[in-house]
Formats: sequence, C-alpha cells, structure tokens
Amino acid sequence: MNYPVWEPYLLGGGLVIGIIAILHVFVSHFAVGGGLFLVLTERKAYRDNNPALLEYVKSHSKFFVLVVLVFGAVSGVGIWWSIGLVNPEATATLIHVFVWGWAIEWVFFIVEIAAAFIYYYGWDRLDAKTHLRVGWIYFGAAWASLLVINGILTFMLTPGRWLETQTFASAYFNPGMLPSLVVRTSVCIALAGVYALITSSAVRDAALRYEVVRYAAKWLLAGALIIPFAGIWYISTLPSMAREISLGGAPAVTVFAGFSIFFSALVMAFTYFGPLQRPRQFNLVFAILIAILALSTTAVTEWVREAVRKPYIIYGYMYSNGLRLADVERVRAQGVLKSAHWVRQRDLDPQHLASAGNEIYRVQCASCHTLDGYNSIRLGVRGWSWSMIDYQLDHLSTLKGFMPAFVGTEEERQALGAWLASLNPPPASISIEPEAAMEGIQSQDATAKGAPQP
Amino acid sequence: MNPVIPGPVPVPLPAPPGLLEFLLVFTFILHLLAMNFLLGGVIILTVSGYLGRRDSRHHELTRRVGNALPPVTAFTITLGVGPLLFLQLVYGQLFYTSSVLMAWYWLAVVFLVLLGYYSLYWHQLQYDELGSKAPWVMLATAALFLFVAFIFTQNVTAMLHPQDFYPRFLSGQVGKIFGPVPLLNLARLAHFVVAAVAVSGLGVALLSSRWRAESPELAAWARRYGVTWFMGGTLAQFLVGLWFLFSLPAEIRQALVGDKFAVGVLVLAIMLALLALLTAPTNLGVASVAILGTVSAMAVLRHFVRLAYLRPYFDPHSLPVRGQWEVFSIFAALLLAGLATVGWMLYVFYRPAVNSRRVSV
Repeated sequence: MNYPVWEPYLLGGGLVIGIIAILHVFVSHFAVGGGLFLVLTERKAYRDNNPALLEYVKSHSKFFVLVVLVFGAVSGVGIWWSIGLVNPEATATLIHVFVWGWAIEWVFFIVEIAAAFIYYYGWDRLDAKTHLRVGWIYFGAAWASLLVINGILTFMLTPGRWLETQTFASAYFNPGMLPSLVVRTSVCIALAGVYALITSSAVRDAALRYEVVRYAAKWLLAGALIIPFAGIWYISTLPSMAREISLGGAPAVTVFAGFSIFFSALVMAFTYFGPLQRPRQFNLVFAILIAILALSTTAVTEWVREAVRKPYIIYGYMYSNGLRLADVERVRAQGVLKSAHWVRQRDLDPQHLASAGNEIYRVQCASCHTLDGYNSIRLGVRGWSWSMIDYQLDHLSTLKGFMPAFVGTEEERQALGAWLASLNPPPASISIEPEAAMEGIQSQDATAKGAPQP
Repeated sequence: MNPVIPGPVPVPLPAPPGLLEFLLVFTFILHLLAMNFLLGGVIILTVSGYLGRRDSRHHELTRRVGNALPPVTAFTITLGVGPLLFLQLVYGQLFYTSSVLMAWYWLAVVFLVLLGYYSLYWHQLQYDELGSKAPWVMLATAALFLFVAFIFTQNVTAMLHPQDFYPRFLSGQVGKIFGPVPLLNLARLAHFVVAAVAVSGLGVALLSSRWRAESPELAAWARRYGVTWFMGGTLAQFLVGLWFLFSLPAEIRQALVGDKFAVGVLVLAIMLALLALLTAPTNLGVASVAILGTVSAMAVLRHFVRLAYLRPYFDPHSLPVRGQWEVFSIFAALLLAGLATVGWMLYVFYRPAVNSRRVSV
C-alpha cells in the first residue's frame, strides 16, 4: 500500500525471491559447513601425515572459493535486493528492528571473506599451524553470520514477545531461533558432504578416492541424521496455524512437506548405499544426482517454511501484502484506493469499476498472485461467477486460512470482484429450472454474471 | 502537488540519525575505495591487455593485476552491504520507491555483478589459454561493471527526486521506469568513473612495489605506468568535476557554494588531490594518504548534496528514535575485533614466508 507494486510477469515477486533464495541457501550453508570440512580435513591430513589428502583439500578449496565467494556472496545480496523490491514494507521493518544485527553480520562477512582468500592463497605462504588457524577463523565467522541471520529469519515466523516489547533482544531470541539454528547447522554439515562428494568423485588416485568418497559420505549422513530431530523441535515452536497448514490444512503445503521428507530420505538412502557402501563404483554423475536431490530438498523445505507463514510476512504483525494488522481498521474505513499511495484511480466510478478493481488487485493481491503465471489469479477464479467471487472475497480469511482478509470498503470489494470476473469468459452453468430440465436443454445462464446483491 | 512519499515504518530508528548518517558515509568510503580499484582496474586492464598483445610488460601487468581483481570484487560487494544497509534504514522511503520503479534494472545488477565476477575469474584462471582473446573478456567485464555503475547512479539520483516519483509512476509500468535526468547522470557517472581510474592507477603503482624483489624492471615500469593513469585521471577530474558541478540544479549548486562547511570540504578535497598529484611520482605513501583524504572529503560532500536535494521533502531528523545501545556496543566491539583479526591475517600473509609446512599441529 505504501510502496508501488512490481509485478514480475509470470514469476510473481514470491518466486523471484524464492529462486534466488533457494540457490543461496544451498550455497551459503555449504559456505559454513564447507569451512568446517576444510579445516577438519586439513588437520586430519597433517595428523595422518597424508600428503595426498592434503592435495585433495587444496583442490577442494579452489572449488569452494569459486562457489562460495562468488555465487554465495552475490546471491546473498540478491536476496536482499529482491525482498526490497517485492516486499519493501516488510524489508524496511526488518531493517529497523535488526539493523545492528545485520551490521554485526556484515562484520562477520568481512572477516569471512578475508579469511577465505588468505586460506586459499595461503597454502604455500603460511605454515600449517597458521593456515589452520585462518581456516578456523573462516569457519567461526561464517557460522557466526549464520547465527545472526538465523534469528532474523525465524523472527518473521515466530516474532514471539517482540509484538509486545518491541526490543531487539525479544525479537532476536524468538521461539524458533534455537531449534532453527540446530537444523541449519546440521544442514551445513550435510551440505559440506554433498559438495565434497562432487570433488571427491573427481580424485584420480583410486586409493585416495576410496578414502575421501567414504569420508564425504559420512559428513553428509552425520548432518542429515540430526535434521529430523531438530526439525521436530523446530516444528513444535511454530504457531498452531502454521502447523495445521503444513499438516493437512493446505493440501499443496502438505504435499510439499511430504516431498521434503521423501527427498531427504532419498538423499540418505542413496548416500548410504552409494558412496558409503560402494565407494569404488561412485562417480561424478552419482554425486551430481545426490546434489540435485539435496537441492530439491532445500527447495521444497524452504518453500514450505515460507508457505506456513501465510497469511503473514511477519507473523501476527504484517500480512504478506505488506498491510500491518494495526492499519486494517483504518484502511477498511478509508478504502484501499484512498489509502494506497500508488494507484492511478482513486474513485469508484461505475463506468470504470473493473479498472478500479485492477488497481485494488495490484495493491492488495499482486505480492502473491500473478495474472497468468505462478499462483495465477485467472486460473484461481476460472468458472466463478461474480457473486461467487464476491462471496469468496467477503470470507477470504475463513475460507482460505492462508490468505489475509480482503481489506477495503464493500464497494471496493465489488469492484475487485468485477475485475476478477472479467478475467475469464462468463461461466457456463447448467440450468436447473424444471421446464429447461424437461426439455433437456442445457442453457447458459447469462444472468449468473449479474451484480452481487449487497 | 505534494510529492508522494511512502510513510515511515512505525518502528523507531535504533540510533540517532546523525550516527546512522556517519556510519552511512564512513562505510560508503570503504566501499568506494574497493569499488574504485575494481572499476578503474577493469578499465586499465582492458587497455593494458590490448597493448599486451605486442608489449610483454603490459601482458605481465595485466596478469598480475588481474589476479588481484577477484578478491577486490569480493570486498567491493561485501563492503557495499554496510552503506546500503544504513541507506535503507534512514532513506528507505525514498530508496525503495526509486528502486521498485526501476525494479528490472535494479535486480539486473545482481546478475551483471555475478557475470562480471565470474568473468574476472575466467580471465585470471585461463589467462594464458585465452591468449589474444583475454582483452575481450576484460572489455566485456568492464562493460558489465560500467553498466552496473550506470544503474547505481540512476537509482541513487532518482531517489533524490521524490517530486518525480508519482509522475514517473504514471508514465509507465512499475519496474521498467528508468532514470530521471540523463544528462546529470552522465556527469555523475563520469565523475565516478574518472575517479575510479585515478584511484586504480595509484593502486596499480602500489601493487607493483610488491614485485620489486623478483622483477625490478617490471615493477619500476608498472609504477610509472600506474602513476600516469593516476595523474591523467586526476587532471581529467578537474574538468569532469566542474561539469558535474554545473550540471547540478542551480539551487543545489548555490546551497553548496553558499555553505562554509561544504566549501571548506571541497577546497580540502582539491588541495589534497593537488598534493597527491605533486607527490605521486616520488612518494606513493604521501600520495595515497592524500587521495584517501580526497575520497573521504568527496564522500562527505556527496552526502551534503543529498541532504540539499532532499531538504524540501524529507528530514531524517524528524523520525522517532529509540536507541538500541546494547546491540550497538556489541557491533562496535565486534567491528574493532573483526578489523584486528583481518589485520592479523594480512600480517601473517605478507610477512616473509616461513617454509615449514610440516610443523606438527
């Protein structure tokens, strides 16, 4: 309402954020876990006096730099870019609450980047002890940046006592923060294994490959085994409505939650029976297959995590369309078109009812829906008459629990309904008038498209 | 008609605007230094790479400076997070609006930077294999980063014109509405690019001092070469700076020249630039410190211009404040500790190599 609304064609804002965020999550958790993998494996190479393993860690560190420092860093900025474009109101709110948190995370980023480069370029310049120390600094800073951002992310779903106190401490130490930290740390360890499987599959020396393939598989399984337990703990902290949505309340979300479990199980089974049991047959294709499954797990899990937050973007504080709960009554009384800044039409002129409805759609619905693409509104109302649409709009939050209620005047609701009804050809309905039935004629009831009765 | 500016977030600012603006300018200076080295670097290396087809010194310089650019890119991006954070906090109402209006272009920055960054690695890791094609890769990288710079100047200029927001909103489709004042932006862009080339020339000269031990001839030549870029860029800046100054709207220029503080900062910046020009051929240390002063002074002046633009429409000091001093203290302490850690790592990295890889751990 406060900001102009950008409608990225078929994707919609949510999917723009989603695509960037899922890729970022898949790389950034590797950035943390992979750091631990590097130092522990390097230490193991020194302890076992295994120069071949040390060579492997070196080559892995190059891969690490190219993936993490480039894609990880830029995609992280990309999330920030996209949330500011799609949800400026929520982004501004988060920055007001957490700016010092983000500033702290920024310090960790600087240390992390410097340490990563010095680790990478320092293989032949630093003595082993100092090199390892730099590696530990990298991992410490990387995990600390996760520690910070994790609290900000869980705040959006479980803002806890912040709703009353509005303090930083209650916002950051919210109910979901700790379990989510354990989940994410485990994901980091598992993903370190996923990526190490890729590089280890390319090792030429057969004996070394046997060793590092199994070693990488153990990392993956160790991380993956903790996730379900930490996950249950995390789910127990969710608001009851969010739990209901994921456990049957909204079929799509439940199906995706099922996929999340299914893909995780596949990753674990493939890793156990593949690289752990049969390291000799393991190859790059298999490694990439596991990585794709792990990416799919990340994608569906992140999708579910976002979906269960509906109808809010900050739970119990702001709806996903950027409207604060505190502003609902004002907007309802004033009307959407009079409260929103960025509309082309402020009056409900009966001649242009549908175009006013389009404006209302843009400010109130377009942050989640697109016209013809992701979460298509045209498909959503296909076959619905104006009166049916109006009834739905009037009971939106009760009929569809994951959607916010329509907020606006009654006339505005009807205008929105008129626009939605104009998106599809009028519905063909089967007449049930006795005389028509007797004649066996299916007639199109044009009057079904009549205006709803207030 | 009153400008349409989104209302502020009903959460108070976590520190007084003065402190936030200080941090905005301070972190921006850090970003600017890295950005200058990067943007100027890709321009200089495009030229050197081309000359390097016939001249082995240029070829070698392009390789060596090219090795430094990926880490510089990482720091440009990371150091940019700080100022953008404080900008969004204090000026979010303006910044988000101008960004959303040009959303496609603004989002494109992410992909352009990603491409540019990977092409720098491509140039670095495949320099010999690329052969005579290497300058083309660098040219493409320079084009990508220049386009990013152009989008940035468009957006941060657009946010200074809230009176144009609503008319621009009406003029087209949200997300595709690009750039308000083309001429001003070209001057602004040129001002930044020329500064970047100058600072980067100095950077090349500084970097070459590390090659003195093993390739003294190359180092001596590279130093002169870098200083030439620096002096050329700085001299050009006197003209471009004037162009930029006179492309500003009259009322902004008057606010600038009518303010003692602003004039003082401007004079200081110019004096330091002159000092850097005089000392660069003989004393890189003095020249570098002087140019650091110029860059900082210009960043302060830039903020002054922003305030002058926004004065009729927006005053950050009118926003409510509730200080989060505990968290701020943690940030300040961690910032010091973080910088010390980075300093320690740089120290161990650059101290004479200790060849004892097999020490027990």
